[in-house]
Parts: sequence; C-alpha cells; structure tokens
Amino acid sequence: MHANYVIKRLLQIIPTFLAVMLVVFLLVRLLPGDPASAILGDRATEEVVERTNRALGLDKPLPVQFGIFVGNLLQGNLGDSISLKVPVLRLILERLPTTLFLTAYAAVLGVLMAVPLAVLAAVRRNTWVDALIRGVFQVGLSLPVFYVALQLLTLLGARLGWFPIGGYGEGFTGHLYHLFLPALTLGLNLAAILVRTLRNSVIEVLGAEYVEFARAKGLRGRVILGRHVLRNALIATVTLLGLNIGALIGGAVITETVFAIPGVGRLMVDAIFGRDYPVIQGLTLTFAVIVSVVFLITDLIHARLDPRAELS
Amino acid sequence: MKSLTRSALVLAAALAAGQALAATRGGQLVYGRYADSLFLDPVLNDANLDIWILTNLYDTLLQPTTDGKGVQAGLASSYTTAKDGKSMVLTLRPGLKFADGSALTAADVKWSLDRARNPEAGAWNSSLASISSIVASGNKVTLNLKQPDPTLPAALATFNAAIMPQKLFTAAPGKNDAEKAKAFAEKPVGSGPFVLSEWKRGSYMVMKRNPYYWKKGDDGKALPYLDSVRFEIIPDDNTRILKLQAGELQGAEFIPLSRVAELKKAPNINMTLFPSTKVNSILMNNRPKLNDGTVNPLSDVNVRQALNYAANKDALIQVVTYGTGKLMKSYMSSTTPLFDAKQPGFPYDLAKAKALMAASKFKDGFEVTVLATSGSADDLALLTALQQMWGAIGVKLKIEQLDAATKTARYRANDFQMRTAAWTNDINDPSQITSYYTLFDNIESVHTGFKSAEIDKLFAQSQQELNPAKRAAQYQQIQSIYLKAAPIVYLYETPYPVALSNKVKGFVQIPLGNNIFAGAYLDK
Repeated sequence: MHANYVIKRLLQIIPTFLAVMLVVFLLVRLLPGDPASAILGDRATEEVVERTNRALGLDKPLPVQFGIFVGNLLQGNLGDSISLKVPVLRLILERLPTTLFLTAYAAVLGVLMAVPLAVLAAVRRNTWVDALIRGVFQVGLSLPVFYVALQLLTLLGARLGWFPIGGYGEGFTGHLYHLFLPALTLGLNLAAILVRTLRNSVIEVLGAEYVEFARAKGLRGRVILGRHVLRNALIATVTLLGLNIGALIGGAVITETVFAIPGVGRLMVDAIFGRDYPVIQGLTLTFAVIVSVVFLITDLIHARLDPRAELS
Repeated sequence: MKSLTRSALVLAAALAAGQALAATRGGQLVYGRYADSLFLDPVLNDANLDIWILTNLYDTLLQPTTDGKGVQAGLASSYTTAKDGKSMVLTLRPGLKFADGSALTAADVKWSLDRARNPEAGAWNSSLASISSIVASGNKVTLNLKQPDPTLPAALATFNAAIMPQKLFTAAPGKNDAEKAKAFAEKPVGSGPFVLSEWKRGSYMVMKRNPYYWKKGDDGKALPYLDSVRFEIIPDDNTRILKLQAGELQGAEFIPLSRVAELKKAPNINMTLFPSTKVNSILMNNRPKLNDGTVNPLSDVNVRQALNYAANKDALIQVVTYGTGKLMKSYMSSTTPLFDAKQPGFPYDLAKAKALMAASKFKDGFEVTVLATSGSADDLALLTALQQMWGAIGVKLKIEQLDAATKTARYRANDFQMRTAAWTNDINDPSQITSYYTLFDNIESVHTGFKSAEIDKLFAQSQQELNPAKRAAQYQQIQSIYLKAAPIVYLYETPYPVALSNKVKGFVQIPLGNNIFAGAYLDK
C-alpha cells in the first residue's frame, strides 16, 4: 500500500546513518582519554599504552581510521570490543533482545496505565479524581528513575518478596516475571508523560464539534468515548510513544544498572567509561536504526488511524 | 605456663578438627560481583576484574599466602635457589592434571612462563624479566637468571605466571598468540580449582569444580568443596545488598563502607572486612612548575608536609570510611611484605602544619585544584572534609570532578595539581608499588614527578639483594626518605568489604584482592 513511501524513507535513512556515524566517530575521539589507558588504569607505562593503542590501530590518522571503520561496516563487521575482545556485533545481538523486551514491556505497561487514567481524568476534569491522577503522575515524573527503581525493589522485591531482585529470568514467562519491576519503573515514567498530553487531547476531542454532533444524535457516552474519543486519543499516544522511544531506551540505562539486567543500555555506559570506541559506535548505529524504524512505524500507524495524515 | 600453652594447643587443634568435620561438600555458591570480567587470559588481561578471579581458573607454581606476607607451594611442591642466586629449580608435584584431564608437564610450565615473560605480550611481563632462559626436564624446571632476583618467588605466585596447557592453547583458532588467546579465553582450561563452564557476558559466569585439582581439603579428598560458583553481575551496590538479604546471593563484594555497620548487625549476614593492600592517598604534582608555566606551590616540601600534618586522618577515617580504615604510615600498606611498622606517618598536628607553612615560600596560602572521580561519594566526602582542614593553614582547595578516563588522561599529561588515588598490589612483594610510587624512570612516580637518586640506588640494590634482613633495611630507608619528601598526602588503608551469608565458610579474599573459592563451602 505504502510500499513506495516505505522504500523512500528507508533510503533516506542511509545518509542519516553516515552522518550519525561520522559525528559519533569524531565525538568519541574528542573525549579526553584513550581506550588503552582507560583499560590499563593508573599504572600502565607510556610504552604499554602506546603498544596497546598501536595494536588497536588507534595510532593511524583519523581519516584512515574512519575509512577502515566504514569499510568494515559495509561488510557487516562492527569490529571487536577493545576491553572484552569479542566482536561488537555479537555483544549487541546478545544484549539487544533483553533491552527491546524491557522497552516493549514498559511501553505496554505505560499505555495500560496511562490511557484509562487519562480518559478518566478528562471525563472527570477539574474534580478530585482528575487532581489525584494528575498529582500522582506529576510526582512520579519528578522523581529520579533510580529512586523509583530502588523503592520498588525494596518494597515489592525485598520486603514483600513478590518479585525477584534483579536478573531477567529464563524464557518468556521468566522474563515477564523478572522484568516486571524494571518495566513498571520505566512504565510509570512513560505513563506520567503520556497522561498529561492524553488528558488534554481527550478534553479537546470531547469538546469538538463532531462529538457534540454525536451526542446530539443521541449516541450514548460510552459509544462516543469508544468510537470517537479513544481513537483520537490513540493517535496521540502512538505519536508520543514513538517520540519517547529514545527516552525509554535512555531510561533503560539506569534501570538496567539498578536491576542488574544485561542489556545494551548498561553495555553503552560501560563502553563510554572504558572508551571502548567500537562498542560505542556499534551501539549508536543500533540506536539510530531502532529510532528510525520506530519513527517509520509510528508514521505508518498514524496514517492508518488518522486518514488525514498523508504519506508522501 | 607450659601446660597452659599445651592446653591452648589442644584447644586449637580441637577447633581445627571441628572445622574440618564441618566442611560440607557440594552445592553452588552464588556471589554478586559489581562488574564482569573482561578477558580471562593470565598474560594479556587488563584489570582487577580479571586478576581477582583468574587464580580460581589457572594455578601458579607457587601461591601467595592468605596473610599477604609471602608465598607457599603451589603446582611446584618445592624450589631451591642457587647459592649465587643466578638460578632456581622448581619441582612439580607428581600427577598434575589440567581440568580436561590431560597431564600438566614441565614443558607446559616452560611454555607458559616463556609466553608470560615475552616483552611484547601484556602489561605484566616485567615481573619475570630477570629470567634469561628456562629448561624443562622430567618434573623439574630450571630458571636461569640474568641476575639474582629476590622477587622471583612472589612473581611465580602471581596470576600472569599461571600455567596453561600448551597443546590446547596452540590448537585454538587464530593466526598469532593474541588471536589464539582470544579464542582460548572464551572457554579457558587451566589447572586451578575451578573451570569455566558457562559465561553470559555482563550477566553471569559459572565455574564448576575441577575434578583433577591437586590440593586436598581437610577431609583428605580433593578440593574444592563446592560443586560450582556462580557469579551474578550486579553493578548497583544497593541491589547487591538487597539480593543478599533476600537470600538470592550468598556473597556480595564491594559493600559500601557506609553500610558495613548496618550489615554487621544483620543476623543472617557475616559482614567481613578482609585486610587488603589498598592504600588511599592524594597524589601531588611535585614539579617546580605546572604545565601552564605557573609556579607550583606543591613543589615546596614544607608545603607538602604541612598538608600532610593538617589532614586529620582519624577524622577522615570516621567520615569517609565509617571507621573501617586504618592510618597509613608508609606509601605501602601494612599488609605488604617489608612494610616498616616503625614509620611515624604524619599524625595530625595543626601547629606543626602552620609552622611549616610559615617556613615555606607560600606563607600567605594559595589555591589548589584536586581532580576527583565524578560520582564517587567517597572522593567528595574526603575532599570536602579536607577543604575545611586545609583552610586552617590558608590553603583553598578546589574540587574538579572528572570521569575516570578523563582523569587518567589529565594526569598522564602531568596536567594536574592533586588527584585522589588508590592502589592495590598484584604481587606479594613491595617492589611493585615501590617502582611505581618512588621511581621517576617508571612512570614519573605515578606522574607526581617525584625523584630521589638515593631511592633509585637503594631500590636497584634491593632488587638483587637475597639477604632478607639487608633487603628489609633497604626498604626501611626507602620508606623513610619517601615519607620525609612527602610527595603524596598519606591518608588511610581500607579493607575489602564482603558480605557473606552465615552459611558461607572458608572463603577468603587475600590482601592482593584475589577471591579464593577453593576452600569455601556452604554449611547445611
């Protein structure tokens, strides 16, 4: 249906990636400190640091290094991690599913919490129900992610013993069980963002002419909500969700550390501290791909839900 | 008196026997680490994360003692040094095997040590630099030396001198040693008490007991007692503690010192502070001028001594280490061999500090910047306390927080005035820390720029001195000269805080940091 559009968008992604790669390639090299001394620590002699950097090809001029990197990339080779000494692609493939699972889980929980509550707040606008819902999420939004994570861990994990503390379990149900608390942490944060915008758009829709018209026609409140209001609210949710996917992955960095989940978020943090250039580059590329694809899917869904949005 | 001694001995023996009977076999110990290992090759590894567990997988000819003071027999049951000190003969135990069941021979030893001492390989080869050639014959290995080397027994008890199976390593895929090491380190086979059975990077690692391990337990059967050890990687301190409290872990390392007192009170937890070689100090730039050409007040020895006297270490130990630290009296820890217990250190003395400042070229005080590691609560607590203490002698301390890699880059370029630093030894010998802290020709005395011709001479002599008393005297002098010059601010020694379940017995983290699981068991 939108095949041409999709192909065009995918082709547009390529120059974006190249630009992203160049910027990241230069940025990580602008950071003070080199991988060899980051790994070897305080006590490495100049000689050892130099030898290590030479072995990693980091003594070559930057254009040559970039050329080698892009050349390898075209062959599907992201290089080897400097500190872990294994292929970057393997590291990412090992850890990406965990992060994606967590992100999707958090998105589902976030939407499940946000949509009904936003609609409720909108319908009961300016009552204590509205104030409570908005208040709770406002507080939730202002609390740091790691704090919420620790509180949930302490209460639901350690004190009540309902959920395991950290780790991600085996198999689908194991993941669901183990990742519940981290997904809830991220989901709460996401819901807090969604509720505010959703509530406003529901109020807007409720006041729209066509809703008035529907009401005048004698349609029942529930039907109006279901057929007209929610459909529109969903459009806003999808767009917001798409825009927040980057933030969600960013939040995963912290939750993955607190909940001891071996995802790409933690890998990225370790790589930055260790100046592990190939890992940083490989992960940035991966994130760029994910965000681009999510944006594309968001646009497609948006078009499906809202016929006014044209794909061109 | 005599009978008292005897009854004490009997009691001790009874206790030891009781313990021996109590050692239970089997089970899995789950241990929470703050980060995963990087690369499990003894020669090409890079970090403590590797070093501190390598000895569970790979055994060495000799082993460090658990008190940090010397070496004991390992794969070699004995060794003799020639009278002239120019050679050493080690005798291997009979029937040694690697974890795959293949024989461990003198040829494996020669090959492993030759690989470890190759100057092109790894960062650790210098510890074996005195070896000129190695001869393997039967169960004997002869090391021929360029010069006498008193550090060699300790060097042979250090991780990089681990014995590896030559056949398995050379059969690993790869064009050269580095590539083969990459392949081999994914599924390493050594002769240590455990063998790696599963490794999901960043998540967990499982080590199974090596059924061919040579060392016997108290029950006369081969160690280790445990069937397996599982390392869970949990970077967050609080989560590690919560998991231990919930019973999901039986051990957790790097407990924040702020929580030691609380965990000591917990009924099911055995909060242990293992003595370490960790010394915490502030390294100062001793050079006359800073990189930007300005005069460096820290080049004045009066100033450096004044800063040392004005730092109230007892208060710092309370504030930063919650009372778990210990006054640092020498640049080396009190657990390092040849540490001189008679060193006075710098006891807190504000009057003396003021007098020294008055005698310096910087009577009116000055402003100085210290590099701290960002995110380190300890660094911040320490430096804000020092801000107050040094304010009393007119020194205004500015704190600059940097991530570790940036901090390293700055001091490598000598672009700093002060920086926080900690050190742990890798070898049961004082030569390592001494060469780093006191020798300009190594890395400019950890980039402080400190230089002493007297120390250089004493150190060179001590590196060939086979008479232990004479070597101890040399080290005593080195420690005194260094203390007087005060190139660093002496702070405190800190332990390794490990929280264990009450059921865990026999686990030790030795002062070098190595986690020793061979004698660990779970009480039923």
